[in-house]
This record gives sequence, C-alpha cells and structure tokens, in this order.
Amino acid sequence: MSVFESREIFKEVIVGFFNLLGDTPQVADKLKASKMVIRFIYSDPDLAVVVDCSGDAVDVRPDDLDTKAIVEMSMKADIAHKFWFGKVNLTMALTRRQMVAKGPVPKILKLLPAIKPSYAMYPKYLDENGYSKYNIH
Amino acid sequence: MLPEFYQFHHPTKVIYGEGLANDFSHELEALGVKNYYLVSDQVLNDLGLIQQIREGLEEAGFTITGEFYDVPQDASVEAVECISHQAKDSGAEGLMAVGGGSVIDAAKAANFVFSEGGDLIADYSGAATLSRPLKPFVVIPTTAGTGSENTLVAVIYDAANKTKLVFSDRFLLPDLAVLDPLMTQSLPPGLTASTGMDALTHAVESYVGVDTSPHSEALAVAAIKYIFKYLVRATQKADDLEARGRMLIAANMAGSSFSHSMVGCVHAMAHAVGGLTRVPHGVANAILLPHGMEYNFEVCKEKFAELAPVMGVDATGMSVDEAARGAIAAVRRLGRHLNALNAMAVRLKDAGVPEERLPAIAEAATEDGAIVYNPREVLAEEILVHLKNAY
Repeated sequence: MSVFESREIFKEVIVGFFNLLGDTPQVADKLKASKMVIRFIYSDPDLAVVVDCSGDAVDVRPDDLDTKAIVEMSMKADIAHKFWFGKVNLTMALTRRQMVAKGPVPKILKLLPAIKPSYAMYPKYLDENGYSKYNIH
Repeated sequence: MLPEFYQFHHPTKVIYGEGLANDFSHELEALGVKNYYLVSDQVLNDLGLIQQIREGLEEAGFTITGEFYDVPQDASVEAVECISHQAKDSGAEGLMAVGGGSVIDAAKAANFVFSEGGDLIADYSGAATLSRPLKPFVVIPTTAGTGSENTLVAVIYDAANKTKLVFSDRFLLPDLAVLDPLMTQSLPPGLTASTGMDALTHAVESYVGVDTSPHSEALAVAAIKYIFKYLVRATQKADDLEARGRMLIAANMAGSSFSHSMVGCVHAMAHAVGGLTRVPHGVANAILLPHGMEYNFEVCKEKFAELAPVMGVDATGMSVDEAARGAIAAVRRLGRHLNALNAMAVRLKDAGVPEERLPAIAEAATEDGAIVYNPREVLAEEILVHLKNAY
C-alpha cells in the first residue's frame, strides 16, 4: 500500500514542501543559480509538478504538463517521500530504475549537494504542518 | 566497510581469443538474427580488418546490410541519427560496432532509435529511459582503453548546443563483446599508451569512488595489475599479442568496474580539458590521473595504499601514507616511461593546452556529472592548483 492515501494529500504535502524549499535561501539560491526547470512525474498516486528555477524565484506549478522541462524525473510517490528523508541514493535509484531521468542527468546530480539541507527540513515540515503520520522515525 | 546497497549486473557475453573476430558465428547464432548493420572506422576498413570480419560472417550465413565509416573523434548526434536511419532502411536486425570508444558509443546510442524509433535527445537522453531490451548489439573493440563494450553508458557530442549528452541504461549494454588481440595490433604507440592510461584511470577512480563495491573493486584491481605489467610492452612492441590481449582484457574489466561504480575528479577534469581544448580523452586522463590522486589523497590514502602492491610497489614496512604516495609515484613512473617512448605527453602544456584556459577548465570540471562520485568535494579553486601542477 502506498504511503499517501490520495492524490490530493500527496499534492498538498509535496507542493507545500517545494514551496518551503523555494522560500529557504540556503537551498533556493543554489536552485535559482542552476536555472533548471524540472518536471516531477509521480505515480501511485499520479501527479505532475514543475519546479521552475529559471526566474527570480523558485516557481512550483502542480499539474503543469505544458512547460518544456529541461529534466523530467519519474518515480513512485513513495520513492519521492523516502528521497526527501535522505533515504534514497539518487544514483542507485537511477541504476535500479526506481527513478527515471530524461535530460541532462549530470545537471541533476550536481544539485544534490545544494538540496542536502532539505533532508533535515522534510521531517520537521511534516510535523509542523499536520502531516506527522507520514513521518519516518 | 560494505556499502549499504550495491548491485552487479553484467549481461554482456565476453569472448576472448586470437582471430576470434573472423569467426564468432557460434555466439552470434545465439542472438537469433542474421542481418547486421556495421559501424566502424575508415582506417580499419583501409587496413583490411573489416573485410576479414565480413568474410567470416558471410561464410557463416550472416549478412552485413550496410556500413558506416564516418564517426567523428567525439561521436556526434548527427552520426548517431544517420546510423539509426541507415540501419533501419537497410533491413538490419542488429548492430555491430568495430572500433574504439567513439565508434562503439555512436552505435550504442544509435540502437535507441534503430530499435524503438522516436527522437534520440528528447526521448532517450538521461538515465533508465528504456523499459525493454533493444535489438542485438555486438562489439569488437580495436583499442584497449574505453571499455565501452562493457558499459551501460554512451557519451554523444551535441554540436548544436556544444554539450556532451549522457545516455545511461542497462539495456545499452552490448549482447556480445568479442576481444581479439589481433584487432589492436595496428594501434600506434601513442594511442596504445593513452587508451591504456584511460583504462587505468577507469580502474583507479572506480576503486576509490563513493559507489565502489566488492565486485567493482575486484575487477579494478585485476585491471590495474595487468596494465602495470603489460601497457609498456604493448606500446613498445605492436605484435606482442600476450601484452595486447592482457590490455584488451584489462580495459574490459576496468570498463565493467566503472560501469558499476563510475569515475571521479580525474574524468571531470579530462572532460573539461577535452571540451575546451579538444585534447583527446585518453591523453587528458593519462596526464591528470596522478594529479587527481593527489587531490583525493587525504580521503583515499588507505585505498591508494592497498593499490600500491598491485602497481608493483614493495610496500613492506611502509606506513599508509608512504604506500599511498608510492602508488601515486608508480602512476607517475608509468606515465614517464610511456613519455620516454615518445608515446604520450605527461604535461598539459605538451598536449597543447593553453595556460590561460586553466581557470575555465577548473570551473567546467565542477560542472561535470562525475564529481558526484568523487570521494571528496570538487572545488574549482583547489582543482586549479592541481591543474597548474599538471601544466
């Protein structure tokens, strides 16, 4: 059974977290410097989210299927959830096909050090926003 | 310490033997198709090597439906697209690559569109984009360096965007690799030396990288041992088939090792040097390997110390620091030995790199995907120090 019981809940959680990252200068400044436009395509439950770092702010757009993304990352929602706890090795996940990346993968890999602080932020975010039942302790 | 998780996936059948390139029909039968499109190099064709392969295949009832001999030094998107479409139009059911890294990578990437249709960059650039096997793909390497006949990666140059595209997928691994030392006999000393040092760089970097594993370490160690014993011999004497054969096997094992554990800062620097100054990849790796080892010294010295005896250093009674320094010195000695044979430069200056490009090279190295696998963070200002040392 998947962690998130509905698309709506998952959308709330993941979009809220991406917005938090976009408002955290320690992470956001590096994301903006990358100028990346990433579309995350989740399954089980299904959801697409564009994280657009090409402008002055990190713009998070759920259900955006039109923007031309530089990289598309596909994965199950459960894998995404585990990833933000720092419990998924991205390179291994790509090797094991737990994640599929279309586009210039080195640019995504290069963002890994930039998003490191987010692994500590995610469990705190879940607790502080009424999603503590999804926390992994 | 064991990694938390690792996997070893090696579906490529590897066969070795003198003269095998002219008769591997038994192994081809197992792939179930008869018609192959051949990708190679004009020089190899002029040397008559392709004719021998063609005759061997035709005698066994296989057909070469078409041939492509125009892969540039850096395999290009245009060449890949051309191969895909010509192979399809020729009625081929599989691809065969006979050549070095660029030829193999071009054919490897061409198999995406040849097998599945679609657009090379939009549909397949990236990692793990395929969900089923591609059409049969057979490789006969003619250099002992890249190991591409054993890797799941193809690197293709996109001239329109001046960038190198990485395609990575387990289904890219060839079905069959035919290692025949006679196919490398015509390789001149310079290419023998630089491609051999490229293989050494694959082995050393995969041995110390963050994704190393017991399987990839074992392959790396075996490759390093062979390279230290046979690279000089193969460079000195083209028809030393023992040395040629051992180098082919070493490159193949190093390829498998890095296909699983990837490479690090030496490749990041070499990619940058190649991208900005067009120095061939093997030459850049050969020059930069000892300097990359210096860069990683503090975090890798135990592993370098383990490699010292493999590289022929008598480390008896040495401290970890001394043995690790001994390993780096052994790599430098090997480079100098090859340099003394007029086979290889050991300084960036001698390879034609303009000194004023070094800061840009350092910056570009920090943009390279390989840095993620390096055992310590790659910082432009620190890398620049080592690039200057290599100058």
